[in-house]
Amino acid sequence: MEKKKFETKRSLLLYFINGSKRWFALAVVFACFMSLLDLVNPKIIGYTVDSLIGDKPSALPAYLNAFAEAMGGAGVLREKLWLVGIAVVLVALCSAVCRFLFRLFNSIGAETLVKNMRDTLFTHILKLPFAWHSVNHTGDIIQRCTSDVEQIKMFLSEQLTSLLRIFVLIAMALTYMYGISPKLMCASGIFIPLIIGYSFWFHKKIGSQFAIVDNEEGKLSSIAQENLTGVRVVRAFGREKYERERFEKQNAYYTNMWIRLMQLMGAFWTSGEFISYTQLLTVLLYGSHLALIGDITAGSFIEFVTYNAMLTWPVRMLGRVIANLSKAGISIERLRYIMNSDEEQDVPGASEPDFRQDIRFENVSYSYTEEGAKILDNVSFTVKAGTTLGILGSTGSGKSTLMYLLDRMYPLPEGCGRIMIGDTDLKNIKATWVRKNIGMVLQEPYLFSRTLSQNISIAAENKEISRVHKAAEVAQLADAIDHFRDGYETFVGERGVTLSGGQKQRAAIAQMLIRKPPVMIFDDSLSAVDAETDAKIRAALNRNVKDTTVILIAHRITTLMHADMIVVMDKGRIAEMGTHEELIGKGGMYARIYELQMQQSQIETEEAI
Amino acid sequence: MSEENKNIRLPLFGIPKILPYVKKYRVRIAMMFAMGVIVSLIDSIFPLFTRYAIDHFIGEKTMDTAGIFTLLFICVLVFQAVLNYISMYYSGMTEMDVDRDLRDASFNHLQTLSFAYFNQNSVGYIHARVMSDTGKIGELVAWRLMDIVWNGSYLLFILINMLVINAKLAVYILLLVPAASLLFSFFQSRLVVLNRRIREINSKITGNFNEGITGVRSIKTLVIEDVIGSDFRKDTEEMKRTSVKSTRYSASFSSVITMLGSVALALVLAKGGVLTREGAMMIGTLSVFMTYAANMMEPIQFIIETFSAMIAIQANIERFTRLMDTQSDVADSKEVIAKYGDTFEPKKENWEKLEGDVEFRDVSFMYPDGNEMVLENFNLKIPAGTNVAIVGETGAGKSTLVNLVCRFFEPTKGQVLIDGRDARERSQLWLHSNIGYVLQTPHLFSGTVRDNLRYGKPDASDEEIMNALKLVSAEGLLEKMDRGLDSEVGEGGDLLSTGEKQLLCFARAILADPRILVLDEATASIDTLTEKAIQDAIDTVIKGRTSFVIAHRLSTVVDADIILVVEDGKIIERGRHADLMKKKGAYYNLYTRQYEEMIVNQYGMA
Repeated sequence: MEKKKFETKRSLLLYFINGSKRWFALAVVFACFMSLLDLVNPKIIGYTVDSLIGDKPSALPAYLNAFAEAMGGAGVLREKLWLVGIAVVLVALCSAVCRFLFRLFNSIGAETLVKNMRDTLFTHILKLPFAWHSVNHTGDIIQRCTSDVEQIKMFLSEQLTSLLRIFVLIAMALTYMYGISPKLMCASGIFIPLIIGYSFWFHKKIGSQFAIVDNEEGKLSSIAQENLTGVRVVRAFGREKYERERFEKQNAYYTNMWIRLMQLMGAFWTSGEFISYTQLLTVLLYGSHLALIGDITAGSFIEFVTYNAMLTWPVRMLGRVIANLSKAGISIERLRYIMNSDEEQDVPGASEPDFRQDIRFENVSYSYTEEGAKILDNVSFTVKAGTTLGILGSTGSGKSTLMYLLDRMYPLPEGCGRIMIGDTDLKNIKATWVRKNIGMVLQEPYLFSRTLSQNISIAAENKEISRVHKAAEVAQLADAIDHFRDGYETFVGERGVTLSGGQKQRAAIAQMLIRKPPVMIFDDSLSAVDAETDAKIRAALNRNVKDTTVILIAHRITTLMHADMIVVMDKGRIAEMGTHEELIGKGGMYARIYELQMQQSQIETEEAI
Repeated sequence: MSEENKNIRLPLFGIPKILPYVKKYRVRIAMMFAMGVIVSLIDSIFPLFTRYAIDHFIGEKTMDTAGIFTLLFICVLVFQAVLNYISMYYSGMTEMDVDRDLRDASFNHLQTLSFAYFNQNSVGYIHARVMSDTGKIGELVAWRLMDIVWNGSYLLFILINMLVINAKLAVYILLLVPAASLLFSFFQSRLVVLNRRIREINSKITGNFNEGITGVRSIKTLVIEDVIGSDFRKDTEEMKRTSVKSTRYSASFSSVITMLGSVALALVLAKGGVLTREGAMMIGTLSVFMTYAANMMEPIQFIIETFSAMIAIQANIERFTRLMDTQSDVADSKEVIAKYGDTFEPKKENWEKLEGDVEFRDVSFMYPDGNEMVLENFNLKIPAGTNVAIVGETGAGKSTLVNLVCRFFEPTKGQVLIDGRDARERSQLWLHSNIGYVLQTPHLFSGTVRDNLRYGKPDASDEEIMNALKLVSAEGLLEKMDRGLDSEVGEGGDLLSTGEKQLLCFARAILADPRILVLDEATASIDTLTEKAIQDAIDTVIKGRTSFVIAHRLSTVVDADIILVVEDGKIIERGRHADLMKKKGAYYNLYTRQYEEMIVNQYGMA
């Protein structure tokens, strides 16, 4: 499937919001209802004051007037004021229901959005090529997937919907206020752009001061972190006093930055209150004047003051939302980077051939970067189906790279030779098919935070516990597992028991064995187990994996010597190749290493005698 | 994780426990509270202006007092704005000051705790005590208490105003308060539980991301993208469900609050309307009542939220005070402090020179969190200048001896003697100032190269620094960096490679010129050239000093004056290389295995 690219921030936002659009739409609808209903009660109050308590003609809008008439008109209502009370409660009830539905739909929308973002990101990240993962920092990606996602959610669900609601509320309130008195509305309305402007300005300032505070907190936090992780160094050099001064200095500085932020916030709140109350004063004086000259009634005056008060908060919010726009924009941009990275792809019409065939490396050369040093240089060899290949080589000789290429972790570029499975070029095979058929045990395997038995069977189609036991036995892990209190149900990984390096390696071997793949690779994966266990595992393997093509990478010649063929790697090239006997006969590098390893034990034996 | 969320109940919300840290600011806090009360008082007075405008200006149809009205309004407004600003500023400052003091106190206390504490608690855990518990407590002292003062007094003033203006009408409204409080508490308690659950799932999801990204190689080779992906979706689904459920409560909560406000309003309108029509009450008064009624619910909500936050903060207080109450199990005696000074105020004039003789005399040792003696009646004399190698599997407990020599731990029984005197007879700082320590994972502090090298000798001149760098053949390293000794090394030395960091650590140790050197060799594979440089550096550094090397390199081991072999925390063999090889025991096995790898690598590189 061709994965789409997101040219703009908007296109990504629209993509993510796809499943939650209707929820947000519903939320906005109910938000509008709510705002409208909130505007009704002041009308009722104004009417009550003027026409029921006073004796002015009704100034209610037609729909409310009809309602009042239906209840018996001003005459009846005047006697039964509690009916008005009930009307107010009913309106409030409707408004409360709308408020509830607004928040509920908004939350469903927001949570659907977050789930959608997280799921999409996670699935996408798993499909990104291994090369992408090696160049991007884990911490950074995780931060993008958590805080940036949260930032976008906050913006869309809390700020954007409230933005819409605020607009509706302001528009409606101003309309009503205009209906009461255009002049008074102008006097009050003049303050609105002022409040929005100042709130926007302050939030910008507060935002940048926040960034400073954050940064300083980061510094303080890492001083503490460094001190705690380096506690041995601190103690060993006797530098507690210095550490204390360093921490206290940064602590004081950070505190001052916070206090500066507090001053800003205080100024913001105070001036906000000040402006709002000045607005109130203006309305009170000018409104009284208008009432005095008979332009408006006492009831509509109260009504107006109520509307005016309703506007205070939303208007201040507006400035904040606008100031936060840029933050959300940055977060979307950061997610766009991940979403626009290319997923692993198979060639069109990729096949799924049988892996019980010969594996041929033909003139394979490779380097990780364009101009980088060659890790592999013109490597060719064949592994006959069902045989065992041993690879010996120093650290950095390219043996692991060979295996990564075979497992399609890195694609082999054009002109760098080819890897053949029987008659099929590896690049024409589906990547997942390749990995399903090649079991690879890594030198430093990763266990997932699940139970041991779940870890062993994680990639198996048949997860029967008996098969898990069998695999653990062959991998010589069963005894160790029996020693755990919870046995196979022992929880491992980040939040569980920590296994030793050797146990992890054996768990990974079991994890592969249970799948019974036609090709098995042990990438130095017996390095952390002792020679005796190593031998036991190999013996058990020999009994259990007939017809399997095995590739063994090791330092220990005793691990490799029984292989059908042995390849000796040196600086990306094949130095020698052949059976153990042939290589010994050649008297080259292999023979020398073998001799040294043997000689060593001989010298020791002699010394011992 | 479970501990972070545990509910803890302390008397009076744990406030008495933090009083010692707050005492200093008691005047400021008292003023803050007083001003908060006045601010609330003024807030509750403002509707009275509206009432006056309606009753006097509109009702009596005269603007005669408009001038005084405006003046008074502005005066009250300015007064209130100033008070408001000061009380906010004071709260903020108090919060920050308390935070700072608590952070300083906890950080400084940590500098005196023994390694037993650091072994039993992860860095993340301790770090959270210093950085986040303190913040929560500061928030409690300043804002939470202030919230209660503000909202409590505001609520009280409205109620009083209402009672004064019209007692009968006020009683109806008052009846709503207990009902509202009960309802709000119900919602709040539900929300607390749900929000805790949300935090738990959230951290699980972050864990999932971590696993998906750090474990990507295994996920790909096992082809389990789908398994991991669908498990992830289960977690996000639960997150969604729980979040929406929580919103159902919080949305009902806020709906009920506004609803109750309207009920109060309706009551005022129905009852007060009658009174007004009968002439018993003015329209302005009715309007004030309506404003009060509508504004009454919010403070109640705030107070309840504040109480639930205070309940949560008790856990932070508990953890913080537990840290402060932890006593170091390696402490200098009063006499020692009197003579040699303490950690922060040393009396260097009384310090004797350290020669470097170390002796273990009948030492038995058990880790404070262990249940088995790892050393029993251990005796070993190490004359000054001896080179001791300690070998064994990863996790076998090779650091134990080193920990005892450095007095990071003290023997359970017996004595460690330095220059013939019990280590406890002199101060920790005296000993530590004479010990050099190079860790397996080199630890640098963020700052410049110079800052780092001077760590063990703050007054070292650039010349001395350069000499030290030359001794470990690391002077070439500076040429690579653009600003020489002033180059930044990054957080934890991240801008340098492991090998480079290692070399700087050696230079740092040499510069301190310690009599006793402890060295934990790196196992991580580094390139051949650096490896050679490090090997040479080790040989240079240990010359002429008493050294303890936790060794992985064969040449270091072979040339050692004495080799100690550790297995399962115990010393099972000791002697020189040739003797141990003859024994064909644990050392022999260890040695041959490493040898095989070394040979393959040597040939590869040749």
